[in-house]
Amino acid sequence: MLSYLVHRILIMIPTLLAISALTFMIIQLPPGDYLETYIAELESQGENVDPAKIQYLREQYGLDEPMIVQYAYWLGGLLHGDMGYSFEYSQPVSKIVGDRLLLTFVVTLATVLFTYIVAFPIGVYSATHQYSWSDYGLTFFGFLGLATPNFLLALVLLYLFNRYFGISIGGLMEPEFVDTPWSMGKLMSVIQHLVVPTVVIGTAGTAGMIRRLRANLLDELQKQYVVTGRAKGLPPLKLLLKYPLRMSLNPFISDIGDLLPELVSGSVIVSVVMSLPTTGPMLLAALRSQDMYLAGSFLMFLAMLTVIGMFISDLALAVLDPRIRLHGGATK
Amino acid sequence: MTRTFNPLAFRAVLAAALALAALWAGPAPAGPYIETPMLEAQVKEGKLPPVDKRLPENPLVEKMAGEGTSIGKHGGELRTLMAGSKDVRMMVVYGYARLVRYNEKLELEPDLLEKVDVEEDRIFTFHLRKGHRWSDGHPFTAEDFRYFWEDVASNDKLTPTGIPAQLLAAGEKPTFRLIDAYTVRYSWPKANPAFLAQLAGASPLYIYRPAHYLKRFHEKYSDPTSLQRAARAAGQRSWAPWHNLVDNQYKNDNINLPQLDPWINTTTTPSDRFVFVRNPYFHRVDREGRQLPYVDKVIMNIADSKIIPAKTGAGESDLQARYLRFDNYTFLRGAQKTHDFDTRLWRTGIGSQVALYPNLNAKDPIWKALNRDVRFRRALSLAINRHEINQVIYYGLALEGQNTLLPESPLYRKEYADMWAKFDLPQANRLLDEVGLTKRDNRGIRLLPDGRVLEVIVETAGESTEQVDVLELIRDTWAKAGIKLFTKPSQREVFRNRVFSGETVMAVWGGIDNALATPGMAPDEFTPVKQDRLMWPKWGQFYETKGKSGEVPDMKWGQELMQLHAEWYQARKREDLTRVWNRILEINAEEVTSIGIVSGVPQPVVVSRRLRNLPQKGMFSWEPGAHFGVYRMDTLWFEGPARTASAGRTSTPTRP
Repeated sequence: MLSYLVHRILIMIPTLLAISALTFMIIQLPPGDYLETYIAELESQGENVDPAKIQYLREQYGLDEPMIVQYAYWLGGLLHGDMGYSFEYSQPVSKIVGDRLLLTFVVTLATVLFTYIVAFPIGVYSATHQYSWSDYGLTFFGFLGLATPNFLLALVLLYLFNRYFGISIGGLMEPEFVDTPWSMGKLMSVIQHLVVPTVVIGTAGTAGMIRRLRANLLDELQKQYVVTGRAKGLPPLKLLLKYPLRMSLNPFISDIGDLLPELVSGSVIVSVVMSLPTTGPMLLAALRSQDMYLAGSFLMFLAMLTVIGMFISDLALAVLDPRIRLHGGATK
Repeated sequence: MTRTFNPLAFRAVLAAALALAALWAGPAPAGPYIETPMLEAQVKEGKLPPVDKRLPENPLVEKMAGEGTSIGKHGGELRTLMAGSKDVRMMVVYGYARLVRYNEKLELEPDLLEKVDVEEDRIFTFHLRKGHRWSDGHPFTAEDFRYFWEDVASNDKLTPTGIPAQLLAAGEKPTFRLIDAYTVRYSWPKANPAFLAQLAGASPLYIYRPAHYLKRFHEKYSDPTSLQRAARAAGQRSWAPWHNLVDNQYKNDNINLPQLDPWINTTTTPSDRFVFVRNPYFHRVDREGRQLPYVDKVIMNIADSKIIPAKTGAGESDLQARYLRFDNYTFLRGAQKTHDFDTRLWRTGIGSQVALYPNLNAKDPIWKALNRDVRFRRALSLAINRHEINQVIYYGLALEGQNTLLPESPLYRKEYADMWAKFDLPQANRLLDEVGLTKRDNRGIRLLPDGRVLEVIVETAGESTEQVDVLELIRDTWAKAGIKLFTKPSQREVFRNRVFSGETVMAVWGGIDNALATPGMAPDEFTPVKQDRLMWPKWGQFYETKGKSGEVPDMKWGQELMQLHAEWYQARKREDLTRVWNRILEINAEEVTSIGIVSGVPQPVVVSRRLRNLPQKGMFSWEPGAHFGVYRMDTLWFEGPARTASAGRTSTPTRP
């Protein structure tokens, strides 16, 4: 077990390294660099840009050096905890990120919890009442949530919530709480605003989760030990919870690894649409303007979240299912 | 605090004051100044001097004599919505405190300056207001101009590319003379007719800096070693990039930088909510002696540009025009029934809402030849049904015509707007036949000389569904002339690069930025001097890089435009300027350098019902006009009881 743990942790390092190289390369792929975006923007505002000044800026930012050198600078900085310098905001990345990382965690956590809390009972109910009206009905709603584009659902819900509950459109809190220290009022406001993003991002994940749990549970319910238990007179609920459910939880736990990156990337679009102060909108803006250090650092943060998420899910799986422990190695 | 109030004595003093006031003629405000309530506490504690010491000796008096305007009162917080942290610079634009500024009639008048003397259009003497102070209380004097000229513009570490091109007239730099503490003079050997207009621009030419604040960042006035250490600590390579970082008055991102604008930024970037607080040393007053601005604070909330119309409709903005589009109008009118705002329609100041730009520098030789044939361009223009587009997309509220000046400009002539702008399919077909595109395929689409289908690929920057809608309608009518139109959405930087390199055949974008031009404004948008004009990018690049890259204009009328451009910069008399402008406009109209569709599209402006002094109908133009700048945002005031931003939330139904 311990060797498994150590092995997994050591594997994370080359994984993250490969991700960092890929990320950096992809950010650089579009033709031009940050300064081209800067010029384009200035000129579309009707401001004059002196080509010589751009060359001067290019040297200043180190954008005229080969890509390998820029990558080396960035990587070296990352290892020291220095996330680099943002051209767009003219400040170190660490200063800009601020509350956003925390709020991303909060939103993602809330969404994961929502997904589990909704999918779990519905999945179990669906499996035990297979082919009933409620089974079809709930599945239908699940697929509806999956099929509806997230941003469309977000806009509709934003409007409805504003109309009937008076919650301000977009953002994670009322405007007057922005940038103020945490207080009861701010907390309440955040919770109120969390409802729409959680529902929107969560519904897409619940459908898949429901169906998977349902399928697995159905498999287990056919098996011999369930029949034995029933024959031996165990109360049905206890029977259900203690035996087949535990067996069918396998994909549920291993999905955490998949769920995290799905949520984080799905939430980027919704965050942009709803103007949430999470990493999503800032990442999108940074990618558009090729503010490579800011974009790269965000992506590395998200990659790390994913890698750690998968590690935790593998660990939880090993804890949950003794079969994995005894056979050794990863199931995937 | 108790004070015995003697009504008789008070009235006597008041009468005396009024009598004195009556003796003062002219623009000077009547009687003593009225203290600003928000600053009273600080004045009492001694942190700020009283209002008469904060104002210059001769402040600018806003007459507010226009209809619908009235003297206001201090107080209130104005909320507005923007789409990114960079939009803090909009407060510099809206505040519109300039050395010289445009008034509503687009005439230039001194603003920060007390007086301007111009000799021969090349010698400019500026008189500052005595006692005028920066937002931190330090005096604003000629030293701030000298610092910019000698220590910034002429310093080869801060400005390694030399004196900024905007300060050159015919390539020559000016002579700067500091005459006394409140007077400076700029003299050029040749005329510089564009100088004052540049100072009054929305994004102006800044020829001064807060010297007392910036000297600590300059190696000439600070100890070099400690300065270098401090620069390193701030994450900069040396003192010069650090200085360049903190002195950007337009960008408005340094909250410690002293300013002359009506509201000062107090929130560091990036943020989702910026608070701008009144400048206690602002130089304007109203007729009754109240120091402007009226509104105490401006709160700028940041949201994604796509939900700003929705948020505005929910009542979250007191003054909004940016990021609102004409197709939001019906939604906003519906929303105003349950919220406390009105939606007004202003005119826009661009030459055409959507314009097509045939690329005269296209790489493909056949398309290049075709684009350069004036009959082809004229045919394309004649085959567009502008009336239909106006009715379908703009409810008939826009002006149909070419991409040229608007009727409000003194240089406007109806024949320029109407030239080749009628919907005439037979003539279009005739012209295309004349060009030689007589062969057609079995669908009726014409063929190019080399056998390819005449398919015009119009590239867009992918940012506006409006452009795509207009192109849909154009597609139908062009098909009747035998031309196939294909819209290719792209992304802004890619789009621009493709146009600049000649890969695109035709591009679509907005029209002329400054369609309200007067003879005294530079004709740069109508002549090939900038690369980002999408019809002649390589000619423009040639001029901008002084011949190092791009192509020299090789068409006769292109060369004539360049000559006229040079002539304008040499002209002294108004008649010459007007003559040059007219010829430039004539060439552009005859040669159909860009194909305009409609102009004067209404811009929705959302205004809180309690906000006064903003006209019902105005012109929403960036240059000139600075959007709200020319309507004096500092004179806007809230009627009724004061309300803070936290109390002003959504869904408070008021009168229907």
